[in-house]
Amino acid sequence: MKENTKDHAALAGEFNKDEPRVDWHDKTLWWIREKRDKAAHGVPEWELLRETASGIKENVLSRLHEYLLQFEEQATRNGIKVHWAADAKEHNEIVLSILRQQKVNQMVKSKSMLTEECHLNEYLKEQGIEVVDTDLGERVVQLAGEPPSHIVLPCIHKKKEEIGEIFHQHLGTPAGNADPQFLTEAARQHLREKFLTRRVALTGVNFAVAETGEFVVCTNEGNADMGAHLADVHIACMGIEKLIPQRRHLGVFLRLLTRSATGQPITTYSSHFKKPRPRQEMHIVLVDNGRSVHLGRKDFRSSLKCIRCAACFNTCPVYRRSGGHSYHTAVAGPIGSILAPNLDMKKYADLPFASTLCGSCSNVCPVKIDIHEQLYKWRQVIVQAGNAPIAKKAAMQTMTWVLSNPAVYHTAGKAGRWFMANVPFAVNNSLNPWYKQRDMPEVPGKSFGEWYKKNKK
Amino acid sequence: MSSRDKILGAVKENQPDFRELPPLPDSPVGGTEQLSAKFVSVLEAIGGTAYIVSGFDRIASILREQHHDALRIVSGCPELAFLAETAAHYDDPHTLENIDLAVLRSHFGVAENGACWITEDCMIERALPFIAQHLALIIRKKDIVANMHEAYERIAAAEAAGTAYGFATFIAGPSKTADIEQSLVLGAHGPRSMTVFLLDEEMSDAGFY
Amino acid sequence: MKVGLFIPCYVDQFYPQVGIATLQLLEKYGCEVIYPTGQTCCGQPMANSGFEHLTKGSNALFIKNFEEFDYIVCPSGSCVLHIKDHLHSEHGGEVDPAVNIRRKIYELVEFLTDVLKIENIDAKFQHKVGVHQSCHGQRGLKLSQMSELVAAPFSKPEHLLKMVQGIELVELDRKDECCGFGGTFCVAEEAVSVKMGKDRVADHLHHGAEYITSADMSCLMHLDGILKRQKSKTRVKHIAEILNSQE
Repeated sequence: MKENTKDHAALAGEFNKDEPRVDWHDKTLWWIREKRDKAAHGVPEWELLRETASGIKENVLSRLHEYLLQFEEQATRNGIKVHWAADAKEHNEIVLSILRQQKVNQMVKSKSMLTEECHLNEYLKEQGIEVVDTDLGERVVQLAGEPPSHIVLPCIHKKKEEIGEIFHQHLGTPAGNADPQFLTEAARQHLREKFLTRRVALTGVNFAVAETGEFVVCTNEGNADMGAHLADVHIACMGIEKLIPQRRHLGVFLRLLTRSATGQPITTYSSHFKKPRPRQEMHIVLVDNGRSVHLGRKDFRSSLKCIRCAACFNTCPVYRRSGGHSYHTAVAGPIGSILAPNLDMKKYADLPFASTLCGSCSNVCPVKIDIHEQLYKWRQVIVQAGNAPIAKKAAMQTMTWVLSNPAVYHTAGKAGRWFMANVPFAVNNSLNPWYKQRDMPEVPGKSFGEWYKKNKK
Repeated sequence: MSSRDKILGAVKENQPDFRELPPLPDSPVGGTEQLSAKFVSVLEAIGGTAYIVSGFDRIASILREQHHDALRIVSGCPELAFLAETAAHYDDPHTLENIDLAVLRSHFGVAENGACWITEDCMIERALPFIAQHLALIIRKKDIVANMHEAYERIAAAEAAGTAYGFATFIAGPSKTADIEQSLVLGAHGPRSMTVFLLDEEMSDAGFY
Repeated sequence: MKVGLFIPCYVDQFYPQVGIATLQLLEKYGCEVIYPTGQTCCGQPMANSGFEHLTKGSNALFIKNFEEFDYIVCPSGSCVLHIKDHLHSEHGGEVDPAVNIRRKIYELVEFLTDVLKIENIDAKFQHKVGVHQSCHGQRGLKLSQMSELVAAPFSKPEHLLKMVQGIELVELDRKDECCGFGGTFCVAEEAVSVKMGKDRVADHLHHGAEYITSADMSCLMHLDGILKRQKSKTRVKHIAEILNSQE
């Protein structure tokens, strides 16, 4: 896998070279935000639901140990084989071992951001296993050789002409055909053959119920079900934080999830898996991969409440204008920016700074994660850990000195204004990033402080 | 130390102080007419079709009209034996691949989102509601709850009365995707169409709850 | 009442007219207004860049300058929010002076509506005006209802602006999207920052705004930079100036 060395700002800069495309990406995602708004406003008790969901998830995190044990016991009793994976590597190895046991080298997979996080597809490919992603958006990016750019709408960054071209290359559809109906039908036929012939299906988990040992998978396409009900082996992968205490809590989350994600009242299918079919094997892999560490971070643990709806992506003015690939991580957007530094603070040090801290994300989050406040707090942690660029550190030290000393501040201010007024090219040049696309502010004759001294004191 | 022990140990050590579970919101009360009207309107908005019918004769005639070129129809309702296969079981779900239409009983509908709750004992095989090209579900018009909170209360009551499921699902309309530039397309991998028949008269209570 | 006037550093240096309008407005409504000349900055630029640990000096200076007042008023939502959320002192004693300050600091608009409770304004501004809802003022200080929430709408800035004679407030497509300034973000992520600003400007221009106003000069500074680069006739004007205007 290609190692990315560019940070969000650089990648976003590249993304912004094509302004019409940015407009298209931004408008598409804003439209989804508007659909969410409409759906939310259709539920008068929406804010109470958010508060309830948040409270349920806070309870889960506080009793996660107990719920994990309860879930394992119930699921096992139901005939589901429960596996524990400490990290991504172990998760991948467990999945592989199940495939080897079945003596198969093919698998269908429905959407699982966890498997993206673990880079499962690449791992299995290296081991000679063919994985077919069956969610249409995921299949598109898989054929294109790219990671998804959005956790709910994987190929939102792709225009239909580009998808048409990808299908032409890989599925043999006519060149130039970009009709969504036609392309979807082609994908239906292409993937139906996979569903009917693959013996192992892997799905994600939207919610797992500790009380009953069942888990729920939500899709619009029906691909998780087509895979699972035709396969001899169903493997479900979940992060340990995806538990909820009781089945009735699903009422709260299923009311919030899809309205927050796409503005629909519910996904077409909300499938409750409790027991394997007769003669079927059902496995569930519980994955830690840094979550238990994150659970111990007082300021950041509540990000584990996330139900992966992506409402924060759709509302984020920065995400809409930089695209998911600018975040160079499996889960992008605002929530990704507060989860990723836990996985690798150095690699993802740029992400908490890819924000204006506008706060929109926190207010669409169905489980009330204080995302924008955590972005601010991660900045402090990252800088204290020594991950700020040296130039920035030096500039900040200077600023601190100036702003702690009124006399220095007044002199510096006056000098700065003098330069701007009399030597404008000192600042109005290509070295000044402000000046690239904006004029500098006009220079007044006096500062407010000087006016006040003259007129008021 | 196994990974299981490692994970559980780390979780136990790091989890925050206890936070109590909040109460769930109250479920609103709604009359049958109001709920069924809402259910129908939401279902139609999400691409499904609804018919309020007096009985199976009416269901059969609508299905014959809508799916006159269906080669293979499967149903879980003995009342439809004259136009569908009504086997209780299929050994291999792959053999359901060429089913044009599946007609199944479902337990209840949810007004707020147009979904129907169906457990596997009504599905014949788990794959059937997904693999068929078209799907029709039958509920009693009076078996519509207002929202998901009520839905789960009903599910719990059924389980307490002795009906547990190994698999069950809410189905809301036909399968769909908007992955290609947000253009909504009905008929992704599951059925291309979804019809709900609301039976508007007292039927035998066997099989419903 | 004795009001300490807190003027953001960049307003002091580049937009003194905003400070003047603020002072005049407060005096018009009967406040005794004092501007402590030893003030510099709230510390937000450092803190938002991850250098909160360097703000001890500016915090101490702030407390020293503003301890004595009944109220502290500032024509900037983001500066006020920063103080409210992050002002700390290295106090040794029982009473933390920072707590007191956080309680009595107000942004100008909310001071006028919530403390002075003014019901009429003797001002004239016969122009079409677009209101930019600055994020910190809106989502942080609750100056107006945010579009994300399912809750009753309200807007303190609009409530005041509607009292101004001759003003016409324009509708926008996106009522409360961020302008993209974001502090050091404006240069660290220049491309996205400018694109966000351009989109905000376009929304206002599309709806015929002759002026864009806000309770935060930082947003307006950023939007103004774009307007001027586009050679637009539309200007920015801080809400204090409009509420104090006689044109």
